[in-house]
Amino acid sequence: MARAATTSDVFNAIAEPQRRRILTVLKDREQTVGAISEGLGLAQPATSKHLKVLKEVGLVDVDTRGRHRFYRLDARGLREVHEWTGGFERFWGEAFDRLESYAQELQRKERRDGTTRDDIRP
Amino acid sequence: MEQPETTYDREIVVERFIEAPRRFVFEAFTTDEHLSRWWGPNGFTTTTRSFDFRPGGEWEFTMHGPDGTDYPNWVRWEEIRPPERIVALHGDQRNDPEAFTSIFTFAEADGGTRLTLRSVFPTARARDRAVTEYHAVEGGEQTLARLDQYAVDLSKEE
Repeated sequence: MARAATTSDVFNAIAEPQRRRILTVLKDREQTVGAISEGLGLAQPATSKHLKVLKEVGLVDVDTRGRHRFYRLDARGLREVHEWTGGFERFWGEAFDRLESYAQELQRKERRDGTTRDDIRP
Repeated sequence: MEQPETTYDREIVVERFIEAPRRFVFEAFTTDEHLSRWWGPNGFTTTTRSFDFRPGGEWEFTMHGPDGTDYPNWVRWEEIRPPERIVALHGDQRNDPEAFTSIFTFAEADGGTRLTLRSVFPTARARDRAVTEYHAVEGGEQTLARLDQYAVDLSKEE
């Protein structure tokens, strides 16, 4: 299962701030190494190295046209990251759904009982 | 300004509009009885061992998953500012080296409350690990169903 092994590498790859900057730049459109380096103020060899890592973990894709190599975002790699972070968000999303129902229940209860809650009133 | 930019790679922010006045949303955090009514995803229940809602006070509890798995939990309330802000340290148990800080912000919004949860982990690695745990906590079937869908989508892309 090569894909399982790749998962951890994706997280390693995006742990590096410059690589995240490169991904952000590629979000809008595909670009050459030269354009990415210039846009971010990075040395071209460093940018190439980062791109190589990102390519290995499936976060970027290369399209060679003539003498130019265009780098673009590969959504499949990012999707795995989204899967993981999504777990936390869903966890709290569901908890907050329940919190909403419960807060509404508290509100109805106060209306019904006509009690005051001086202890928590702002 | 209150969160330095350097926490970016080790935090998770979840935001939600809640259709209820702020003081009721806040109140739902203030006792273990209230918390047990909503804390955790669908199908989860909690058993509280101790609860003390004041700065420095602790909440020791166990979350029971729908599949019967128990998850030990420990919360220390670091800051309580009714009805707008709660800061809690959250781990498996007291002295958990990977405990993370959760900042709940309750803002009045049109027709309800905007609740923001900002969780800041000690390291990016701790964040990823916690996220993985939450992923697991979320429970087998749903995760497997999504994994299945993911595999289907991938095969279409090939």
